[in-house]
Amino acid sequence: MMGLPLAFTEPLLLIGLISLPVLWWLLRVMPPRPRRIEFPPTRLLFDIAPREETPSRTPWWLTALRLLAAALVIFAAAGPIWNPQTGLAASRAPLMIMLDDGWSAASNWDIRIRAADELIANADNDRRAIALVPLSEPNRDITLMPAGAARVALRQIVPKPYSIDRVETLTAIDRFLKATGDCEIAWLSDGVDTGRGEEFVAGLGKTLGDRSLTLYEGGTSSPLALVAAENAAAKMTVKVLRTDSGILAGTVRALDQKASPIGEARFTFGPQDKEVEAAFDLPVELRNDISRLEISGERSAGAVQLLDKRWRRRAIGIVSGASSETAQPLLAPTFYLTRALAPFADVRLADKGSPQQGITQFLDQKLPMIILADVGTVAPELRERLNAWIDQGGVLVRFAGPRLAQAEDDLVPVKLRKGGRTLGGSLTWEKPQHLASFAADGPFAGVAVPKDVTVSRQVLAEPDAVLATKSWASLEDGTPLVTGEHRGKGIVSLFHVSADIRWSDLPMSGTFVEMLRRVVDMSGYTSKPGPGVATEASAETLAPLHMLDGFGAFAPPPATAKPLAADYRDRATPDHPPGFYGPAEGPLAVNTLANADRIAALNTASLRARHATYTNAEPRDLRGWLLSTALALFLVDAIIVALLGGGIAALLRRRAAPAVILLGFILAGAAVLAPTPLRADSASDEFAMKSTSQTRLAYVVTGNADVDSIVKAGMSGLTLFLAQRTALEAGDPVGVDPAHDELAFFPLIYWPIVPGQPKPPQDAINKIDAYMKQGGTVIFDTRDAVEAPPGDNGASQTPGMQSLRELLSSLDVPELEPVPREHVLTKTFYLLRDFPGRFNSGQTWVEALPREDDDESAQRPARGGDGVSPIIITSNDLAGAWALRPDGQPMLPLTPGEPRQREFAYRAGVNIVMYTLTGNYKADQVHAPALIERLGQ
Amino acid sequence: MAAENGHTAKEIIAIRRADGESRTLAASLPRLVLEARRIAANVIHGLHGRRRAGSGENFWQYRRFVSGEPSQNVDWRRSARDDHLYVRELEWEASHTVWIWPDRSPSMAFASKTARESKLERTLIVAFALAELLVAGGERVGIPGLMAPTASRNVIDKMAQAMLHDDAIRLSLPPSFVPAALAETIVLSDFWSPIAEIQAMLAGLSGSGAHGTLVQIVDPAEESFPYSGRVEFVEPEGFGVITAGRAESWAQDYTTRLALHRDQIRAETNKLDWLFTTHATDRSAAELLLFLHAGMQVSKSGARTTAIKAGPAA
Repeated sequence: MMGLPLAFTEPLLLIGLISLPVLWWLLRVMPPRPRRIEFPPTRLLFDIAPREETPSRTPWWLTALRLLAAALVIFAAAGPIWNPQTGLAASRAPLMIMLDDGWSAASNWDIRIRAADELIANADNDRRAIALVPLSEPNRDITLMPAGAARVALRQIVPKPYSIDRVETLTAIDRFLKATGDCEIAWLSDGVDTGRGEEFVAGLGKTLGDRSLTLYEGGTSSPLALVAAENAAAKMTVKVLRTDSGILAGTVRALDQKASPIGEARFTFGPQDKEVEAAFDLPVELRNDISRLEISGERSAGAVQLLDKRWRRRAIGIVSGASSETAQPLLAPTFYLTRALAPFADVRLADKGSPQQGITQFLDQKLPMIILADVGTVAPELRERLNAWIDQGGVLVRFAGPRLAQAEDDLVPVKLRKGGRTLGGSLTWEKPQHLASFAADGPFAGVAVPKDVTVSRQVLAEPDAVLATKSWASLEDGTPLVTGEHRGKGIVSLFHVSADIRWSDLPMSGTFVEMLRRVVDMSGYTSKPGPGVATEASAETLAPLHMLDGFGAFAPPPATAKPLAADYRDRATPDHPPGFYGPAEGPLAVNTLANADRIAALNTASLRARHATYTNAEPRDLRGWLLSTALALFLVDAIIVALLGGGIAALLRRRAAPAVILLGFILAGAAVLAPTPLRADSASDEFAMKSTSQTRLAYVVTGNADVDSIVKAGMSGLTLFLAQRTALEAGDPVGVDPAHDELAFFPLIYWPIVPGQPKPPQDAINKIDAYMKQGGTVIFDTRDAVEAPPGDNGASQTPGMQSLRELLSSLDVPELEPVPREHVLTKTFYLLRDFPGRFNSGQTWVEALPREDDDESAQRPARGGDGVSPIIITSNDLAGAWALRPDGQPMLPLTPGEPRQREFAYRAGVNIVMYTLTGNYKADQVHAPALIERLGQ
Repeated sequence: MAAENGHTAKEIIAIRRADGESRTLAASLPRLVLEARRIAANVIHGLHGRRRAGSGENFWQYRRFVSGEPSQNVDWRRSARDDHLYVRELEWEASHTVWIWPDRSPSMAFASKTARESKLERTLIVAFALAELLVAGGERVGIPGLMAPTASRNVIDKMAQAMLHDDAIRLSLPPSFVPAALAETIVLSDFWSPIAEIQAMLAGLSGSGAHGTLVQIVDPAEESFPYSGRVEFVEPEGFGVITAGRAESWAQDYTTRLALHRDQIRAETNKLDWLFTTHATDRSAAELLLFLHAGMQVSKSGARTTAIKAGPAA
């Protein structure tokens, strides 16, 4: 039905759809059922004159909804079936099933088999005989059999891993049809033309005559195929083919010999593309390991591309005898070689140095092929290594040149005459020679002979009996251009011209690339003697090793698989199914499709046939689905009617209020949240401006209000004292919170320890640590010297000290010592002996000074380290002694209470502030008289 | 029959609930003492003090014993104080009969969605509470055609029992009977019957000169007519069905018609010097009870008109 796989069991019932307009009219006119309400004063209503009542109309969309539901019911009653079974014409004639069973049928094989099964079942119901014709087997005799036998036969058919030639079977079909007479034919086609498709279609049309043909086509995904895998310079590429615009994208997987995945490449078809390239961007070592490419999810032999050693990229070392090549790169022999080899091999140039070093280097790297471009004499010991390497399978290719012409060694396939031959020069009669032929049994066999290649100079071989067999390419006068010889497992080959264009223009031709490719194909350590090597006249045959079955899986070789020639390059055939041939260590890959093969959609338009599709799904009865949808629609209708009957307004009224409130909350929330970050930013800016515009003393806000107010007053008092006595007129002290505020602005931070307060968070600790590392000084004041229990170790037992110790445990604190007598801290402004605060019994600790020799320290009245001590610990409550009330009177009494003590407490504060501001400057100053005295002497 | 059963069940539930609520209501009001008006001397003694000596419960005076009186009248305790014999006289009290008619017809079971209780429930609460108050005040209370007047203390139980065991057809209006001339009749109903029936009822009840009060108890929905859309209105007592295509357009006419109906009733009651008031179930029942309380205490017929004007929701 209109291309949809939809059919009806009772199509006549669809006439009921005609009634829908009537239903429309009825539904529009009929008023909805009234609500029934018990209303006691109804008798009063009787007295009200009845009004002119217009029939209440249903909204059109409600009517449409109802009509849709009604239409669904009608459709359901008609028995719709999705993916109906496509039957055959009812007949008594035998049924012939033609089955495409090439690789292209493999990807949807189950569906084909199911379709064939259905056909057999239908034929069985009608008691019809069946003939099963797999189109891959032209020699099979076509016989009629009962359904049971046909089923068994069907199970035995498996897809073939190669492209089938349907035309071959035509004669057998013709014979069978002539013998049978009336017959009905079903062709389960895979829709792929792998060649000669049109011929078959035409022939089939002729053979069948007016017999009825059912053609199964489509309804499945069209097969994909892989061809032309190529290990290019940067990546491995493979072409993905398709017949039509079915599949849009997919993945190609690369597997190594042990079937472990190496990589994946995605491909995406354009709308009209028939082929697209998938590329694997992998390192060359990995790419060389790839032995199988396959389209994931596509089970067919055509979607598999097997790779053998021909797809490996060899690393080729090039050693040049010429000395200065980089100056004129176009004249360097390596230039043309590199360009010619790059498409299919990795070229490595010898590092700067002598040719001998280059050869050694490549031998050490165990390269399978080395090219020596005009390298003359090779040192004897190196020659030994080269010979051994060739014996193991190395391929040595040499190019002639002036140096080679003068040299003499045995690393050439033929004996050379001394000196070269110049053709077509100004002093010779001879014309430059053209390339004449490639040896038919040589590696260059089949390469087109170029007409435009001329050779103007060459080295000549000594003519001898075997020269002709060693010669791979020769010039018009019969002199060899390329000679080659097999030695051990390796090959020695000589191009009798130079690798640059001085001797010939061969290096500039495309033939050069092809010739090099053939040579490179022969290389490889594992290779047996390559095909076409001169000494091996007869082509070798390779036995089947692992074969692909039609689904693209490896299987043991079937009995029909025959050995093939080692130079087999064609697509797979029934005799040579795809797979690996030859020895396990260096097999030859035969693929289902050759590089140039393309697949096309089979054009069956010229056939007179009923067309059927493979149904890739079971027939599905849609009645339940339709009826439940109709039921749901009726339910919706009921809800709508209920709402229309007065509920909507009430519902809306109830919803509106919460929505408005919610909206209000959202808006309010947004308004509250939005400006917050701005404030934080401007606050921190303000803090920075305030802290840096003036030098300020800072103290840590502990959160204990008493302590904080005393410390603030103390710092103010000290600031006032500093302004009175020194040049430092500091700003108002700042209370900081180490967790949030930037500390770097302050030279000195006073930190009163409140016993029992929790340790600051790790963030704050980290910031303090950084502050101390960057040159800041922190005074920790435990303020409890009087509480120290008596005894040796008493001072460290106070609760403040305990808290401080806990705090310092996570700080990187340097080694500490009590302030020594000669410490610069005692000299920075006033000369002090100790640092009293509210108490004078506490010890003051600073970073320990570096140890010095006793004699020197005796002479120095003041010592300072290189930096300022990052930490000063005291327990004397300095801030308590500095604190002033607003009226200028001291805030706290002192212990023991001498008036001098407060003055000294201030002086201690001044010294500490000066110490943090000036560092060890005073130490030098104190030294000055002694220095002058020493200079004077 | 099923509907009938349903209604009976509803009525039973309503009676049970009203039983409890009416007691609370009655307890919350001061003792309702009826003004003793139009009480003839031959009326059975009630609590209405006559400011005269007579049969009663409250002390009125001591008087000298007159010879010829039965000696049992002598109050010996008082007489022992001096040399004379005294007789203890009590204040003469009189009671009168109040007929209360709670309408229990199916139409009373109506309760709109916004109403807390049905009209029937409200009617029964008021009826029970009124009965309790009246009996506490010494009056006798009866239900026409259902319960003979009684002054029993547990009058609510008695009324409830009588209603529960009543298997007669539930009428909207009291059956025609002639109350005593000085009896009071209180009809609690929705009065949706045609005006002719109401006229006939009033004529019968007031035939002997008895007075009374008509209380129309309505549901709020019956006054505001909050319906819209296509509605089929059903008279619960089976008097017919009417379908309104657009009910909202009927509201205006309905309220006009309702006012007319009430005016007709009021005109009728005014003619007979009865009281008429309306009461919606969304108002407090105590409000109605207070009104009835006040209305019964008004002595003069002239004052009744005022009372009507001041009545709730009238």
